[in-house]
Amino acid sequence: MTAKRLRAIALLAFSMVFLLAWAFPIIWSVLNSLKTDSDVLAYPPKLVFSPTLEAYRDVLFGSGSILPNLLSSAIISVGTTIVTMLMAVPAAYALARLRFRGKKFAGFYVLATQMLPPVGIIIPYFLVLRNIGWIDTYQGIILIYLSFSLPFAIWLLVSYFEDIPFEMEEAAYLDGASRLKTLWLIIIPQVRGGIAVTVVFVFLNAWNEFLFAVVLSGNTVRPVTVAMFNFVSVEQTLWAKLAAVSVLAMLPVVVLGVVAQKHIVKGLTVGAVKGGGRR
Amino acid sequence: MATTVVTSAGIASEAPRSDFGRILAQRERRFAAALLAPAFLALLATTTFPLLFLVYTSAFRMDLAMPFTNGFVGFENYQVLLSDERFWTSLLVSLVYTGSTVALQVIIGLALALLVIDMKRGQGWFRVIAILPVVLSPAVVGMIWRTFMLAPEFGIVDFLAINAGLGSKNWLGDPTLAMVSVIAIHTWQWTPFAFMVLLASLASLPEDIYEAARLDRASAWQRFRRITLPLLRPAIVMVVIMRTMVALTAFAAIFTVTAGGPGTATEILNLYAYRKSFTELSIGYGAALAVALLIVTIIISGILFALRRAK
Repeated sequence: MTAKRLRAIALLAFSMVFLLAWAFPIIWSVLNSLKTDSDVLAYPPKLVFSPTLEAYRDVLFGSGSILPNLLSSAIISVGTTIVTMLMAVPAAYALARLRFRGKKFAGFYVLATQMLPPVGIIIPYFLVLRNIGWIDTYQGIILIYLSFSLPFAIWLLVSYFEDIPFEMEEAAYLDGASRLKTLWLIIIPQVRGGIAVTVVFVFLNAWNEFLFAVVLSGNTVRPVTVAMFNFVSVEQTLWAKLAAVSVLAMLPVVVLGVVAQKHIVKGLTVGAVKGGGRR
Repeated sequence: MATTVVTSAGIASEAPRSDFGRILAQRERRFAAALLAPAFLALLATTTFPLLFLVYTSAFRMDLAMPFTNGFVGFENYQVLLSDERFWTSLLVSLVYTGSTVALQVIIGLALALLVIDMKRGQGWFRVIAILPVVLSPAVVGMIWRTFMLAPEFGIVDFLAINAGLGSKNWLGDPTLAMVSVIAIHTWQWTPFAFMVLLASLASLPEDIYEAARLDRASAWQRFRRITLPLLRPAIVMVVIMRTMVALTAFAAIFTVTAGGPGTATEILNLYAYRKSFTELSIGYGAALAVALLIVTIIISGILFALRRAK
């Protein structure tokens, strides 16, 4: 019995180590964001210190404020989410519920587009956007974000549309409602939850994107993931400020992640059940 | 007309040869086409068109720094690529990075899921904390690790290394340690993904098989080897496929930490294609590298899907 107990304690300790390992870098960034630079650089690392909001005040309202970058991230993410949903909801409904020739191929195509490495998309798109003067524009970056947000949103929504009972639609048709009206008034309200989950994940992926953003950004469009580099240069690192910016960049996605907690496994594995997929 | 029954979603008819049924089916097709058109046009424009243009670009010399040398070169970029040592190195780095991160994620994730599934209390903590790394931007994760975790002396990892008697290490400056670091960072961020998926899968396994096995006095190892592992196989293969695809095209968490360095020690093929195109401005050759990456991706996923179908 003691051996069993000892084993239980060992397992508990082992699992605690992993919990700590996952949470620590995030907690540590939060702590560092509340320090002065000299406290960040202290050796041994300080766990006890007098907290200050100075770093936040500097990065938000000081010179070189990152408020425009947070706004930039927000515009990109909200814009991508709106355009994606406007296109993905009808497409997902058609793929889930309607009968037409080539449906299997259409579904496969949506999945297959995700095989293309992002770097293979950005090289030609950089050339195209440069020619039409769309580098450093919101329309340019939102357009290219559709390459990953659309397939993801379509597949996630298909799984929700497939759960609605067919009888609902039948009843509407028998009442003489048009297809569009049925979709809008009967079906869409049924998948409100699924749409909300999809919105969360599309927003999250757009907020976190980096490769396209780093190539296409400039003075106008500069999301916070790219602007973060202002705080680490060859000459010096602005430690506390970098921590504060990291925390600000993490905040929205952590909140969304915890809110959408129950759906996260589904959101992460969508599409994979049927074929391939990424992200 | 009596045989025409509106079965599901107004979909047609048990007797499709009847006029009514045919009209319904046709209307449904048109409706579907209208609904699909915007999304499919967008996908054509943002994925299929770039793919074709990428392949086209790879047949050109396109040097933004030296535009006077630009022109059609046919397969020359690919010939150069085959004898480019940096390409083969980056391919090897890609394979090491992908192989080790995926293996670590699955092994640690599975071990942890097996541990947590039997916990009476505290499961909720794991479920919440596991979410944190996976929702973060790899760019932010890379930045945090590069500074607050791996910086010499006051970085926590280095601090622990010093206290463990290993001494302060140049985690990102030494080629081997830099590779270990970027692998560790990717594993840190994505093991929770494997953990969550496998935990969900474990929770859905039928309890009665285990009861029967216990009655048959099967040992814990036998239960794992003969019951759990085969039942989990689809979930494990799915995790392997998804994580392999992501690791092959990992970018932000390497770019922000080492930018492929020191030298080319952590330069995976994806990063090489990026650096060639946007740092060295050799876009034609960069395009050829991206095509090579696509081919590697297709070959590896082909192998993985074959594995999934096997048995």
